[in-house]
Amino acid sequence: MHNPPVLSGRSLLLVALAAVAVVGCGGTTDDRPAKWSFISPAITEPSCATVNCHSAIAQKAGVDLHDRAAGYATLEGRGFVDPTTPDASAVIFMMRGQGSLRMPPDEPLPEADIVLIRNWIANGANND
Amino acid sequence: MRRLLLCLIVAGAGTFGFARGAAAYPQFQFSSGTNKCSQCHFAPAGGGLISSWGRSEVGDTISMGGDGGFAHGAVKLPSWFAAGADLRLATTRTADGGDESPQFAWFPMQADLYARFAFGEAFSLYLEGGVRGEARPVDDSIGGRFSGVGDRFISREHYLMWRPSASGPYARLGRFYAPYGLRFVEHIFFVRRYTGYELYNETYTASGGYVSDEWELHLSAFTPPPSGFPDALQSVGARESGGAAYFEYRMNGMSALAAQARVGIGKDESRYQGGAIGKLWLEPAKLLFLGEADFIIQKVTAASYTQNQFVSYLGVTYFPIRGVMLSPMYERFQENLSVAGTGRNAYDLEINIFPYAHFEVVLLGRYMMVGNQGQPAATLMMAQLHYYL
Repeated sequence: MHNPPVLSGRSLLLVALAAVAVVGCGGTTDDRPAKWSFISPAITEPSCATVNCHSAIAQKAGVDLHDRAAGYATLEGRGFVDPTTPDASAVIFMMRGQGSLRMPPDEPLPEADIVLIRNWIANGANND
Repeated sequence: MRRLLLCLIVAGAGTFGFARGAAAYPQFQFSSGTNKCSQCHFAPAGGGLISSWGRSEVGDTISMGGDGGFAHGAVKLPSWFAAGADLRLATTRTADGGDESPQFAWFPMQADLYARFAFGEAFSLYLEGGVRGEARPVDDSIGGRFSGVGDRFISREHYLMWRPSASGPYARLGRFYAPYGLRFVEHIFFVRRYTGYELYNETYTASGGYVSDEWELHLSAFTPPPSGFPDALQSVGARESGGAAYFEYRMNGMSALAAQARVGIGKDESRYQGGAIGKLWLEPAKLLFLGEADFIIQKVTAASYTQNQFVSYLGVTYFPIRGVMLSPMYERFQENLSVAGTGRNAYDLEINIFPYAHFEVVLLGRYMMVGNQGQPAATLMMAQLHYYL
C-alpha cells in the first residue's frame, strides 16, 4: 500500500493539536447580558428547541422555545419563572434536576448558563 | 400550581431526539478502498441512499457477508429507479445527576423510505420521507402538538440533481444539508449539533460543485423552509439563511485535508464559522483518524453581543476484522471562549458491527462533562439495531 506522506501527517497532527489546545480556554468574568434577547437565541433555542423536545413542530409538554416570542410566552405565561423568588422558579429546579428530570435531558446546561438565566429572572424576567 | 406545572413538564419531558438523519459514515472513506463519498452514495457529498457501487461494497467490504443489493438481491430494480429504507430500534440509559436519574428508554429511532428516479444519464429526483423518532411516548394529557405516528411524518430530503457521473461537476436544488463538516450519523456529536447540522435542521439549498478522485468542492446557498410550509416540510434549529463552502484535498488515497466555511444570518443571531478537517488512514494498522475543528463567531444582534465559540472532534476508528469498527472519540464545545465554565467535553466509545449485509448493531457509550463548577457528569449508553433495505 501507500506510504504516508510526511507533510500530510504533520498537517493532520496540527489540526488535532489545535482542536485539543483550546480545551482550557475560557475567561473568568461572565459579561454576557442577562437578557432574554440573548438567552433565547444563544442558550435555550440551541439547547432546548430540538426536534423532539421544545421545537415548534414538537412542543413537548406544550412548551415551545423555538424563538424569542414563543419562548417568553411559555416561560412567563405559564409561570415557569418567578422574579420575586428567582431561585424557586420552576425552570431553575428543572435545569438543575431538583425534583424532576434534568433539563435538557440529553445534555445538561453549564452552571454558568443556569446562573445567567437565574439573573435574568431576578432582574424581572422581562422580554428585554 | 407551580408544582403541578413542574410535574406536567417532567412527565412530558422532551425526548432525547436520538433519531438519525440521512448522514453518512465518514469512517468508510479510505478504509473501504474508496476515495470519495459520492462513489457509494447518489448524493455528491455522501449520505442517504447508496448507489449500486455502494451496495456492492456493502456485501464485499463493509459487512461480514451477505448481498448488499436491494432486498438482499431478491428484487432487481430498473436502472432508472432506486429505493431503500432505514429502520432503527434503540434502547438507552441516561444519567445526568438529576433526582430522576438514571432514565431508561427504548424506542423506534428511525423509519425512513428513499426513492430516486433517474431521467437519462444526468438528471434525477430524490425523495425521502419518514417518521420522526420518539424516545418517549407522548402523554396526551400533558400536551404537545403531536401524539400520533402520522403527525410525525417529515421529509428531510427532496431534491432535483444534475450529476452526469460520480466524478465531475454537479448541481443540486431542494432540501438537504449544505455540505459541511464530517457529517457523522450521530447527530448528538458537538460538531453537528453546534454548527447548524442538528437533527432535522435540513434547509432548502442550492448547491453545486466538482468531485474528482483528488479533490472535491461544494458551494451552497441555503434558507430555512418558509414558515407557511406544512410541518412535514419544516425544520428545527436556528432559522438562518446563508452560504457554505467545503473543499477537500486527498492525498495518495489515504489522507485528506479539508477547509470549510459557513455563514448563517438569522433574525436574532448570525453565525460566521470556519474550520478544518483532517482524515488519515493507516492501512497496516487498520486505523482511521478523523478530526474536525471549527471556530464560530455568533453575533446575537438582538442583544448587541458577540461571542466566540469553538467546537472540535478527534477520533480514531479501528477495524479489527471485516464488519467491525471500534471508535474512541473526544469532543469539545466551548460555548463562549471568554466565559469560564461554559465548555463541554465528551468522551465516546462506539462499536459498530455489521454481521450481515443490511444489518448493523451499534453500541455507544458517552461520558460528558459540562462546565467546571463541580457539576455531575452526564452519561449515555445506547444499543441500537439498524436494518437498511
